[in-house]
Amino acid sequence: MTLKGTRGIIIPVFLLTGIGLLMVYSSTAVLSTRQYGNSFHYLLNHLFTVLIGVSAMFGVSRVDHQRLRGLGIPLLCFSLLLLLLVFVPHVGLSVNGARRWIRLWPTTFQPSELAKISMVIFLAGYMSGNIYRMKELRYGILIPAGVMVLFQLVILLQPDFGGVMNIGLLTIALLYLGGTRLRYLISMVLAALPAVYILIVSSPYRWKRVMAFLDPWADPFGSGFQLVQSFIAFGRGSIFGTGIGNSRQKLFFLPEAHTDFIFSLVGEEMGLVGAIIVIGLFVWLIAKGMHIAGGTEDHFSYYLSMGLTMMIGVQAIINIAVATGLMPTKGLPLPFISYGGSSLLVNMIAVGILINISEHNKRRALVIGHKRL
Amino acid sequence: MRGRGRERIRKLWDEDLTKIQLKKSRKRAVIISTILYFGFLIIVLRLADLMILDHRNLARRAYTQYLTVRTLHPQRGFIWDRRMREMAVNLEVDSLYAVPSKIEDVDYLSQRLSPIIEISADAIRDRLLKKKERDFIWLKRKIDQQTSHKLVKFKKIYGIDSIGLITETRRFYPKGHTASHILGFTDIDDRGLEGIELQYDEYLRGKVRKILNSRDARGRSLSSGFEEAIAGNNIILTIDETIQYIVEREIERAVEKWRAKAATAIMMNPVSGEILAMANTPFYDPNHPSRYPADYRRNRAITDIYEPGSTFKSILASAALEEGLVDVDEEFDVSRGYIVVGGKAIRDVHRHETLTFREVIQKSSNVGAVQIGLRLGKERYYEYMKRFGFGDRTGIDLPGEVRGILRRPERWSGTSIAALSIGQEIGVTPLQILTAYCAIANGGLLMRPYVVSEIISPQGEVIKRFTPQVIRRVISPETAETVRDILKTVVEEGGTGRRAYIKGNLVAGKTGTAQMVDPETGRYSRDRYASSFVGFVPADDPVIALIVVIYEPKGARYGGVVAAPVFRRIVEHTLTYLEVPMERNENHILLVSR
Repeated sequence: MTLKGTRGIIIPVFLLTGIGLLMVYSSTAVLSTRQYGNSFHYLLNHLFTVLIGVSAMFGVSRVDHQRLRGLGIPLLCFSLLLLLLVFVPHVGLSVNGARRWIRLWPTTFQPSELAKISMVIFLAGYMSGNIYRMKELRYGILIPAGVMVLFQLVILLQPDFGGVMNIGLLTIALLYLGGTRLRYLISMVLAALPAVYILIVSSPYRWKRVMAFLDPWADPFGSGFQLVQSFIAFGRGSIFGTGIGNSRQKLFFLPEAHTDFIFSLVGEEMGLVGAIIVIGLFVWLIAKGMHIAGGTEDHFSYYLSMGLTMMIGVQAIINIAVATGLMPTKGLPLPFISYGGSSLLVNMIAVGILINISEHNKRRALVIGHKRL
Repeated sequence: MRGRGRERIRKLWDEDLTKIQLKKSRKRAVIISTILYFGFLIIVLRLADLMILDHRNLARRAYTQYLTVRTLHPQRGFIWDRRMREMAVNLEVDSLYAVPSKIEDVDYLSQRLSPIIEISADAIRDRLLKKKERDFIWLKRKIDQQTSHKLVKFKKIYGIDSIGLITETRRFYPKGHTASHILGFTDIDDRGLEGIELQYDEYLRGKVRKILNSRDARGRSLSSGFEEAIAGNNIILTIDETIQYIVEREIERAVEKWRAKAATAIMMNPVSGEILAMANTPFYDPNHPSRYPADYRRNRAITDIYEPGSTFKSILASAALEEGLVDVDEEFDVSRGYIVVGGKAIRDVHRHETLTFREVIQKSSNVGAVQIGLRLGKERYYEYMKRFGFGDRTGIDLPGEVRGILRRPERWSGTSIAALSIGQEIGVTPLQILTAYCAIANGGLLMRPYVVSEIISPQGEVIKRFTPQVIRRVISPETAETVRDILKTVVEEGGTGRRAYIKGNLVAGKTGTAQMVDPETGRYSRDRYASSFVGFVPADDPVIALIVVIYEPKGARYGGVVAAPVFRRIVEHTLTYLEVPMERNENHILLVSR
């Protein structure tokens, strides 16, 4: 395999992962020392996941992505099974009242991450197979939306409202790309609004979160605590940051500093400069992913590469928007940076598939003798 | 072959269409990527807003939340009596707190806790649901050991971690009600509210150390090192617990015997001004001050004023002698049994023909006293009363002392000089009378009475030592000696204070019986009296001075009947305790030789 052709996408991934290792260590050193007596517990866990993820990435990059064409439905079924396993006692793991993980000795796995990439692979296959029927109501929206809603319902039971939103946004974007009429998509979103409203009103916890999002300073020590602490982290960071390792917010002021709110820590320790660098790396990654998509010559590869790129991009945007108070709080990790194996592994695999698509584009370009820009 | 060809054709056809489709799709891709990039742009703007424009504000907020003030409560100083017996110490007790934000079921917890801590479930609930405090509230402070054990069990059984116990110190007075009015008591936070606890609070309470700590969100301190508050200083009283006990026992008995409303007794070292005992009945237990009415907690010895009656004649006598206006053996005609001054008749209890100056005091003749008073005159008499300390605080180191009432001569009526000669129209505290008698006892010096002799640091160094303090010379030593001699006769044959007579030791003293003012009518009451006896022993070299005031005795009213026996018993027990040698015989010799 030549690294030359894939450099464009690997560099931002590696840089992001490197920053992730740094920030995971910085955010967990104190916690780890308190819990395990040494500061490296979380770092080593994370490093292990990174190594597995990178191996998986290179492994997957050698597998012809066209083979995934038929794997969409089996993958979906498998992830649906795992999503249901979450509710089986002793197999499912409950944290803070949410059943989002299954025990997988010696670690845990979050099936909704697998569901996300399965959905992308499925839709890529489905849309390329029904390319002429995507304008129809039945094929363009009813069938794919049905699958989407099924998964959303299962994930909602966990409950993981963030995961529901994430899959919804991703599906809508892909269907739009696949040619579904815009008015169908808009009608679907409008139809979903009452359901979203009922979901928010019915659960005091979600209501609180929405209220805390609208005005975190109203209750800075209660429901607004997380967000206020995140703001404070950014505010302390200023332009150049407090320096790596110098965060004060990570000392239990900022909850989930190593997972959902790791970007706030990036802001505090590395400043606006560091935050913009991280965002720039994501933009680079997305641009590269879309460039790869631009080089494809069949629908499946095109939808797949676009889907995987958006999967990473949408999640990055949601995570950062949440940390900066632009979106209500959701438990989504920041791709490549947050501590957490499932997300990292799935994103690495996504990059692996992108590399493979990119390799195919290059090879074809060489054969045909012209290069598409 | 055929199949292959068809597939090839389909693929070619496919590819053409694909290109058309992809072109259209790419338009949509541009829209999507634009939306994504636009999202990132908004985020960058938001970041600039937070990190540059809001930087100052947020950084200041951060700074304040990292700092926490930790208050370290010191151990309160001990109080000892003059022989280092513990009068006030500290106990370690548990206090129950709750973390409301951690409680899952407030109703359940309130109902379960209610019988254990003896607070109604509703009251607990209300406290737990208070909006302001979410991290820490006291549920019940300074609980007894039994309750504490129950709570520990309760916590274990129900696995509740939203409540907990903290060890605090509680003030404990091992001697119960003994010296309660001197010691005072503290509030739940160990701040002095009464008595020594209040007067010397700044010495006793020690220094609360406020430590500005850098901390993490779980309140753990980031700075290390062992820190402790500075313990309070210890206090040594001039009080002797044994004497205090004797005094309290005797006045309590007297109150019972005479069904009196209240009683006060103070014992003082007449030479130094040290208070050896100061007791009032009714009293209270400083361990549970709230269980007693406020009335019981009053230190009547310094807060209550009464008319001294005949005990005040010694003041008059001292003034007249000091001024050289009378001779001890000068005779006064009291045969009429009454004397009219300003249109008002003042009577004697017993009829006499003529009485010497000495006998006027000994037999407590009102008619004789008024004649002496008239001879002395307003201004001079007022001057002496002032010099004896009346109308002024004695300066004792206890809170709540009153001045008493002494009107200026300009405001006296025509009868005032007569009334004052027999100890009426003046309001005094028992302590004022005793201090004045001490001046007679010690040769003419008005001493400042005090109850604290030393303040000692926790390390054992003496921080403050209180020494006898002379306020002023009131009368000459000679006058004082003459008055002492007169007062000796009071307890002898023919005197009013016979019942204060003590075998073996010579007592000098004076009885007093005064009508009390009815608070409702503002006039003298017919059946309310303050019966008193004040004196010192041994008469010529006084070791102790004592005043006993019994308020509103029933069945008898004369100080010589009600208060003098109490005086005698207290002094007898005290002298035995102090091992003061019998000196009756020596005194006799002394008297004879003079």
